[in-house]
Amino acid sequence: MLDNTPLVLGNETFSSITDHISSITERKAPKQWYLLLALASSLALVLFGMIGYLFWEGTGIWGIQNPVGWGWAIVNFVFWVGIGHAGTLISAILFLLRQKWRTSINRFAEAMTLFAVLAAGIFPAIHVGRVWVVYYMFPLPNQMQMWPNFRSPLLWDVFAVGTYFTVSLLFWFTGLVPDLATYRDRAKTKIKKMVFGILSLGWRGGNRQWKHYEMTYLLLAGLSTPLVLSVHSVVSTDFATSVIPGWHTTIFPPYFVAGAIFSGFAMVMTLAIIARKIYGLEHLITMKHLDNMNKIILLTGMIVGFSYGMEFFIAWYSGNPYEQFAFVNRAFGPYAWAYWIMVSCNVLIPQLFWSRKIRRSIPAMFIISIFVNIGMWFERFVIVVTSLSRDFLPSAWDYFTPTIYDIGMFIGSFGLFFTLFLLFVRFLPMISMSEVKGVLPQADPHYYDHEHDTRKGGQHV
Amino acid sequence: MKFDSQTYRVETDNQLGFKILIAGIAALLLSAIGYFTHSKQFFFSYLVAYTFWVSIGLGGLFFVMLSHLTGTVWGIVLRRIIESIMMALPVMAIFFIPLIFGFHDLYHWSHAEAVAEDPLLQSKAPYLNVPFFIIRTGIYFGIWYLLARKLYALSLQQDEQPTNEQIVKMRRVSGPGMVLFAVTTAFASFDWIMSLDAHWYSTIFGVYFFAGSFLGALSFLVIVSAWLHNKDILTGTITIEHYHDLGRLIFAFVIFWGYMAFSQFFLIWYANIPEETIWYQHRWTGSWNIISLFLVIGNFLIPFVLLMPRAIKRNRNKMFVLAIWILVTHWVDLFWLITPNLHHHGAHFSWMDLTLFVGMGGIFVSLFWKYLTKGALVPVKDPKLQESIQFSNA
Repeated sequence: MLDNTPLVLGNETFSSITDHISSITERKAPKQWYLLLALASSLALVLFGMIGYLFWEGTGIWGIQNPVGWGWAIVNFVFWVGIGHAGTLISAILFLLRQKWRTSINRFAEAMTLFAVLAAGIFPAIHVGRVWVVYYMFPLPNQMQMWPNFRSPLLWDVFAVGTYFTVSLLFWFTGLVPDLATYRDRAKTKIKKMVFGILSLGWRGGNRQWKHYEMTYLLLAGLSTPLVLSVHSVVSTDFATSVIPGWHTTIFPPYFVAGAIFSGFAMVMTLAIIARKIYGLEHLITMKHLDNMNKIILLTGMIVGFSYGMEFFIAWYSGNPYEQFAFVNRAFGPYAWAYWIMVSCNVLIPQLFWSRKIRRSIPAMFIISIFVNIGMWFERFVIVVTSLSRDFLPSAWDYFTPTIYDIGMFIGSFGLFFTLFLLFVRFLPMISMSEVKGVLPQADPHYYDHEHDTRKGGQHV
Repeated sequence: MKFDSQTYRVETDNQLGFKILIAGIAALLLSAIGYFTHSKQFFFSYLVAYTFWVSIGLGGLFFVMLSHLTGTVWGIVLRRIIESIMMALPVMAIFFIPLIFGFHDLYHWSHAEAVAEDPLLQSKAPYLNVPFFIIRTGIYFGIWYLLARKLYALSLQQDEQPTNEQIVKMRRVSGPGMVLFAVTTAFASFDWIMSLDAHWYSTIFGVYFFAGSFLGALSFLVIVSAWLHNKDILTGTITIEHYHDLGRLIFAFVIFWGYMAFSQFFLIWYANIPEETIWYQHRWTGSWNIISLFLVIGNFLIPFVLLMPRAIKRNRNKMFVLAIWILVTHWVDLFWLITPNLHHHGAHFSWMDLTLFVGMGGIFVSLFWKYLTKGALVPVKDPKLQESIQFSNA
């Protein structure tokens, strides 16, 4: 339990790390990559095809009706934005908390964040129905003096998600610069040299450049930290500022943030396990990294469970029949199956991570991470749909049934996400070379002082 | 008082602890006069003082478990001080007993005739009734006592015969301990504070209370270390680097408190449901609005701005002053949560607010001091102690 294993296993040196990670993009891609890309891009095509049909036909192709006006599209939006939280948490908050183990997972977690936010952004945009006036969402000066409603949380969403995407992109790109320079220096073709040359912004690896770079990185980390909390807090206000029982509850902002980190880490876990297997990165993304991530999944899962409990208790305690009904209806009403899937996947199954053995078993953690992904989608489904389907007017009650377009677009969004992710893995360093080198024992300025010292790397706190 | 920098022990005849205890008891006796002149005020002041000192202890318990779970290195030098804060918590259970006699003054729901004519209170009666309330408080303290005792015993055992086993065990206790802590703290805050206004409810209330508690405990810790430094104790052990990190932690939790406070206020304000907004309406009536605004400025904006620059976090005296300020605002926070249920028309401070605060504080601090001086002031045999002393923010 007192784990002092180094963060990088094997006898890696600076140059072997460069070789190892660069070679992934320099050699031919493995067969599985083409297979996965074919699959993912076909699904992405399904998404775009269906979006085209939606533009033609209107949002009526979805299962939304009265009283459930927010169907899968909003569920998917919240789901994907949530997934997008792990990247910035790992890169910003864990950086500020001096958690060195973040170095080998931050790059692709950040990339995942960007792609997840992109996938998320599609849904509210197409949900407006009249996409040709989607620019109304932005406060653009116009001769009609028409402005979006600044009091609406839906507008705050536009700003929150937009800011989040921009800052995450900047942060991700800043982190990439030294590695892009390495790629430029290793490039064999002229085009590659040029592209990476432009992208690496004239990086030469000089002392002064590093000094500025590290300060920038620290500042960006500081700036992104509030964003990790703000985005999903704002998303939660879409629901919580209303007066709908089950939506309006004060714990929503922190509860949504914890849920977002929970689902984001689960997705990072799913991807990391596959990537490290295919590309042989077991010595860089070690058991220790996976173990730590599982602990965070356990922690955030417990916070989510705490929130479920609080909501339920307070609903009863409030003495408010509408509140009470909303929660009894969730757990025992027509959507009870969804509620119990949510509880099992998010609260019960992650409890297995109390056991160190399970935290360190690849198959177990892979399966649990999938369960968490499923559970967190259902959480949003339960929130969005159950509260709406039985509102204050019993004569309007109805059961929500998704159509093929709901399902297709959701699956298609996975296609888009994975297509982008696979392209990223193919063309950019999926592990931050410069940062992993920083946690090697050789990176310690005093490493060569004591030749016979038994000190191990990566343990500086 | 003599400090031995080899063994990390202070030699003291415990004059100090005794003096604090006497001062505390004197203040409590003085307050007892208030009980006979104005019992309602007495119990409200008592509850504010009580929840204040319990919250400091709770923050300590949380910090100890957090340190074990994260395997903190920088915090090891502070661990014994935090553990002593934690150990003062269970004894506070005794001071709950007088509150039982004040139930009728404090809690509207404890009047059978009030419940009889109020359907809302009737629906809550299975939870809000006197016997169950007392049992619950017993359970909270029972859990806190068991956790604190176990963690403290293991830590002392580590001083005697250090093995890795104690560290492992402390972690094992802290994991489930954290879960128990979260649930008990939330429900304790519902019971003691939220149920004062039995109609009102907020799911975030427990987290809000916790945020303030942890801030309080961190500030208390800063005050103690700065005071020890003033007496030339642990000067080479707790360095400015530790203040820097404590400052950051306080900064983070100032924001966290602000985030919780804002979430609660904002969602209730925006939805504008009368049964929820009434709670804030009470806190905006008469001079209460000054206290409400003071909290926003004093408990959030001022520490937020002051803790931003590095220089203040690395200055012992400034951190000391700031920590006292945060403790004061934490008290105001609890005052603001509790007392509007007594003074509906405006904020009103009573002399008992002060004497009971000092009284309860005297007991709490003397207990804390007793535990702190019992052994070494740092976990001397912790394998990472040296690393913790030499810790640097670079």
